[in-house]
Amino acid sequence: MLQLVVGQLLNGIIIGTLYGIVALGVTLTFGITGIVNFALGAFMAIGAYVGWYLTDGLGITYPLAVPLAVAVTALIGLLADQSLFRFTRNNLINGLIVSIGLISVVQSVILMIWTTTPKNMHYVLPGVLNLDWFIVPKMKGVVFLVLLAVILSTYAALTRTWAGRAAYAFAQAPEAAMLMGVRTRLLQTGVVVYSTALAGLGGALYASLYSLEVSMGSSYILKGVEAAILAGIGSVMGSLVGGIVLGVTEAIGSLFLPQAYRDAYGLVFLVLILLLRPAGLFGGGR
Amino acid sequence: MRAMRPEWLWLPLFAVPLVLHNEVALTVLVFTFILGILAVSFNLIFGYTGQLSMFHAAAFGISAYATHLSMAHLGVSFWIGMVIAVVLVVAISVVVGTICFRFRLKEFYFAIVTLAFSEMARLVILNWGSFTNGSLGINLTAKPMLWLPGGLVPVQGTRMWYYLALVALILTVFVCARVVHSWMGRSFAAIRLNDELADTLGINVFRYKLISFLVGNAGAAFAGALYAFYLSYVEPGYLSIEQSLAIVAMALLGGREPVAGPILGALVLTALPHVINFSAEVRILVYGLILILTILVLPRGIMGLVTKRRHVL
Repeated sequence: MLQLVVGQLLNGIIIGTLYGIVALGVTLTFGITGIVNFALGAFMAIGAYVGWYLTDGLGITYPLAVPLAVAVTALIGLLADQSLFRFTRNNLINGLIVSIGLISVVQSVILMIWTTTPKNMHYVLPGVLNLDWFIVPKMKGVVFLVLLAVILSTYAALTRTWAGRAAYAFAQAPEAAMLMGVRTRLLQTGVVVYSTALAGLGGALYASLYSLEVSMGSSYILKGVEAAILAGIGSVMGSLVGGIVLGVTEAIGSLFLPQAYRDAYGLVFLVLILLLRPAGLFGGGR
Repeated sequence: MRAMRPEWLWLPLFAVPLVLHNEVALTVLVFTFILGILAVSFNLIFGYTGQLSMFHAAAFGISAYATHLSMAHLGVSFWIGMVIAVVLVVAISVVVGTICFRFRLKEFYFAIVTLAFSEMARLVILNWGSFTNGSLGINLTAKPMLWLPGGLVPVQGTRMWYYLALVALILTVFVCARVVHSWMGRSFAAIRLNDELADTLGINVFRYKLISFLVGNAGAAFAGALYAFYLSYVEPGYLSIEQSLAIVAMALLGGREPVAGPILGALVLTALPHVINFSAEVRILVYGLILILTILVLPRGIMGLVTKRRHVL
């Protein structure tokens, strides 16, 4: 039993970092542009399909295909920002609807290019890591470490560099930041594109673990938003912790309670947090 | 605002089936009318009171199931079943609304919590196999019965459904217009524009938010029962997030004012995919492009093109 619990715990943590990388994008975009980009799920799908195509279709080695897929996703993110999101800054509902429209567009284009035939590449790194009393598939371990590294370095960059401090300043007081010489347009575009790149990375890594379907992003964006709110919007490390808390809640919940309601356990937890601590687990009182 | 109350605009719609014999076009209109009920009632919560509810599809779906289940297990007629469903939906909405509004959830947080409740409802229906047949859904064989000059007849065929849906839509628009143009509507607008100020002015913000939520969801329940029995099929997809978003899209596309505006949104989003024979992929693409273009090009919806900008109160 203990082994089962530990196994589920690990699974929850690993899935949780995938939620966390999307949550990080949600939090950054919301903090800087005031919209919730639901299309991050679609960018995750772009990263996954491009990553799959580069590896499986063009035969590029997977460690090289991942950064390429991230670059392609970021490029599409830049395009979307300049043609769409630029016009919905600080307008929550318009941003929401535009991003939802974008999801449909991305999904249909993916379907037109790659159709619905099942795609997976479990072969990238098969095998399991057999530690003393639990077993982890090797690829899951790698995904976990890469995502953890990316989230931690994002945190470091935001706290240690000029651009990072500028972003924090802008989130707190846009006008004051502008007066202090922060190039706000560039900053907003940069954050939107960075968020899409994060989602693309999540997707490209996801592609090595699970088989792909075009609507894969929709459950992840929901979990990402949940994780971001759980932690308190605006908290970078919170989005990682929020993602992990969510992943673990679901994994452990479905161990002791009916599996079919897996998605509900996180939701119940989220509603309770929002009602009892509206600023989130790590948000300051507001 | 009272200067233009074009009730007579409804009249030509009664003549349409006499002139138009195209089955596809009539079907599109029936869908438009039923989804119009959904969009108009959503507009009450979102457009007038400013609360982005993601619970509308849940109210729609719960009612579809509840109508069928009370008919199948209690042996009542469609109309009684529908009343039971509406009462059930209103009761659930009281719980959800009280939780959300007591804790003063606003904007995005309100949307997320209502979405969470909506997903929970969907998961219950999906997994309560003995009653709901899970993801396979249920084929509905019963028909609503109507007393007409010829006696008690089942509603079937596009023409009869056309008139039933049209009357139901007019009823909904009438009720919503009465609410919006009453003192309640002015409280809704005050809450939308600035709910703290509304509170200061002595408007009971909690009460009017809840009233708006209940009336809107009752409308969604009305639409849900009709929609399920028109399609003769009900499945958990009724409660999906996509359905919630489609409702938001219809309301935005049509425009907030006048009350009937969202019906145009329902028409464009249901009719366009039917009129032109697209493949499934292109259909999703067109749907997405309509959403994006509406927001970026027509921020006040289609009706915004026709009506002049007026004061909101």
